[in-house]
Amino acid sequence: MTGGVLNSVAELQAFVNSHGRIHVVGRRSKTALHQVDSDVVLADLSGMCGIIEYQPQEYTLTVLAGTRVSEIQAALRKEGQYLPFDPLLPDHASIGGTVACNLSGSRRHRYGGIRDFVLGAGVVDGLGRAFSVGGKVVKNAAGFDLSKFLVGSLGQYAIMTELTFKVFPDAPVFQGLRLRYGSLDDALKAIFRCNRSSQELDVLDFAPSNRGWSLMAGLAGFQDTLPQRAKQFVAMMREETALLDARKVEDDETLGDPLAGLTGAFLVKVVISPRQIPRFDALVRELPRRYSAGGNTAWLATEDIGALKEILEAEQLPGLVLRGSVDCPLIGKQSENVLAARVKRVLDPHNKLV
Amino acid sequence: MNRPFFEALEKIYPTDRLLTRDVELLPYESDALTAFQTKPGAVALPVTEKEIIDTVRLCHRMKVPFVARGSGTSLSGGSLPIADGLMIGLNRLNRIKKIDPEQRIAVVEPGVINLHISEAVRQYGLYYAPDPSSQSVCTIGGNIAFNSGGAHCLKYGMTSNHVLGMKVVLGDGVVTQFGSESIEGVGIGPDLVGLFVGSEGLFGIALEITLRLMPTPQLYRTVMAAYDNLGRAGDAVSMVVASGLLPGAMEIMDRLAIKAAEAAVGAGYPLDAEALLIVELEGEAPQVEAEFAELRGVIEESGAFEIREAKGEDERARIWQGRKSAFSAVGRLSPDYIVQDGVVPRSRLGEALVKIGELKAQYQLDVANVFHAGDGNLHPLILYNGREPGALEKAEALAGEILAMCVELGGSITGEHGVGMEKREYLPTMFGPVEMEIMRDLRRAIDPEEIANRGKMFPSGEAPALQTHGMHPLERQGVISRE
Repeated sequence: MTGGVLNSVAELQAFVNSHGRIHVVGRRSKTALHQVDSDVVLADLSGMCGIIEYQPQEYTLTVLAGTRVSEIQAALRKEGQYLPFDPLLPDHASIGGTVACNLSGSRRHRYGGIRDFVLGAGVVDGLGRAFSVGGKVVKNAAGFDLSKFLVGSLGQYAIMTELTFKVFPDAPVFQGLRLRYGSLDDALKAIFRCNRSSQELDVLDFAPSNRGWSLMAGLAGFQDTLPQRAKQFVAMMREETALLDARKVEDDETLGDPLAGLTGAFLVKVVISPRQIPRFDALVRELPRRYSAGGNTAWLATEDIGALKEILEAEQLPGLVLRGSVDCPLIGKQSENVLAARVKRVLDPHNKLV
Repeated sequence: MNRPFFEALEKIYPTDRLLTRDVELLPYESDALTAFQTKPGAVALPVTEKEIIDTVRLCHRMKVPFVARGSGTSLSGGSLPIADGLMIGLNRLNRIKKIDPEQRIAVVEPGVINLHISEAVRQYGLYYAPDPSSQSVCTIGGNIAFNSGGAHCLKYGMTSNHVLGMKVVLGDGVVTQFGSESIEGVGIGPDLVGLFVGSEGLFGIALEITLRLMPTPQLYRTVMAAYDNLGRAGDAVSMVVASGLLPGAMEIMDRLAIKAAEAAVGAGYPLDAEALLIVELEGEAPQVEAEFAELRGVIEESGAFEIREAKGEDERARIWQGRKSAFSAVGRLSPDYIVQDGVVPRSRLGEALVKIGELKAQYQLDVANVFHAGDGNLHPLILYNGREPGALEKAEALAGEILAMCVELGGSITGEHGVGMEKREYLPTMFGPVEMEIMRDLRRAIDPEEIANRGKMFPSGEAPALQTHGMHPLERQGVISRE
């Protein structure tokens, strides 16, 4: 594989115009995504980094796509703000790669995922055209919203060069809680109870533990109110679910990290709904795993990607391999969509972007 | 409308659901943007998904343009008929097909009325968040086409943020599905839901929609603050933002809007105010109470000469009733009015309001201002009398200058109403030639005959319109309003 580090939109355009099949990389934090054929050249965007515009009073932030997520988080933290979709792998990933792979973390539970916070983007398409999509204000309904379309698009339709996000003020204090249940069935019932409650949780994940199932909940808010809110939450769970025990968690970074403890050659994201979990979990019970965002995303580690692929195909669930060596990172249900194909025809008619 | 097409339609619809007589077509001649009127060739009223698909395929085969319409509340002329085209009325596809409170989702047909969803799920402690002010009559299909908003967009997003999955028929009759019941929606692969929502009906028709529901907040706290000038109210919004609070809604009304709303619904607004700021917090009770104490401090520091807290749900409802009826109320002061929907960066609100004041003086037209201050979404209301020669043109010229100003200040020509007929000539002020070309190519790739809602969004499209004046019949009855 050959390629080049590109430092500007003009360089990227020239690169696209002068090469055949192109694969875009940022900071290469997701190894499974970069296994490409030998005739494919790499467009490396790690040089296109930095914050272009940050206006805390507008709740908007525009950054170059190659910017490391942790750099963005540090700038926001200084102003008491954050990216509510809680990007994964902040110390390693670029923001462009995070959006292209649609990787939100556990705290997305409160306000939404990446698609809910992307306002606009600068892009270069497969024809080498540089253009903007979306806008730079928090509300905009003009034109087709290609900025949302690009979330999860894996760089196969257009290459994002800059991104504008809506950001929010962060709560001053975060309180983690671990609740223990005897079975998956009990943990799921607890999740369903949370979903019907007006308690506002920042984190709602669950995973098998050595003593049953552990439910990780996070509350964010003012220091003075958190004890009362946590008490109300635990009381509700004690009264209305099969809770075995609950404890507060201090300074435990793994509570809000859906990938914590998921060691294995392959790391996979699966889009799932809570009602699909019992059947699916019975098939993957030997694997390290965690269900995130109220049971709407599954994260799994495995040594045998072939077996997991078969399970996902049988269960008609889509998966994305993030770590490990695979021919194609998209596994399981991957239906060819006619609408996506038509967009591809417009943005990348020669199938340059792979 | 050509005979073979009509005969083919008759094979899909019984006579009582295929309207062709002038008197039957009259209610469909315009939507809530009454400055435009066009008579469709016919109106079809499907009751099944299959009828919609068959109709779109027929239109594609015979190259007949169509407009899908819900309740016709579009403020941008988005559901204006096409002369001699087919209007497809979707109101009868109004079933809520599934409610799963434990997964916080609902699956609905496109003709379901926005508010009916919240009413149906209230018993589970849930609601559907997007709240356009016509929510008691507007349909989800229309909300999807125009990515409708409301007063709570800053915190909760617009329609697009609450759609998880869809089944759609594209303009050439191809049926496709995307998204899921997971809160991730599409999750892996390009976000097709995000692309389809807000496409102004130019890609096709949504047949079935999976929606995200939200938990009803434990507590709302609402405060109303009166100021002796608009700038001070705008500064108060900046102070609230700077404090780190994230209110669900922040709304500002100017003197004319306050007076009209007060006269219309008796909301209890102070009549001596030049500007009124409404701020609402919601969430878990202990947190909201703590935030409200902080908010009160900020408002007290902001120079308000009167501060009033809603003491209960009744008072809160009255405050919002005044706000939501403000535009219709102002409209009663004048035979005609144009509502604009521009967005500016919040920090430039003051600048925008000064400019609107100057334009108002220059054009010698009254302008009332009501806006979603939290997200910089302006709704200047330009009053004119359509019976006076040249009055509409003058009002439109003023409206155009306001839109140009929004773009110049780094904002958008539309925050929540869409481009539709009304702003199609202004789309190129926001997007350059490359962006316009790509959007046109997308349209053609997805709907090769360009029959779905032809003439909307892109400049110099078809759909020539007559001009008229006066309020929409539903608006006159107070059923819908131009927020």
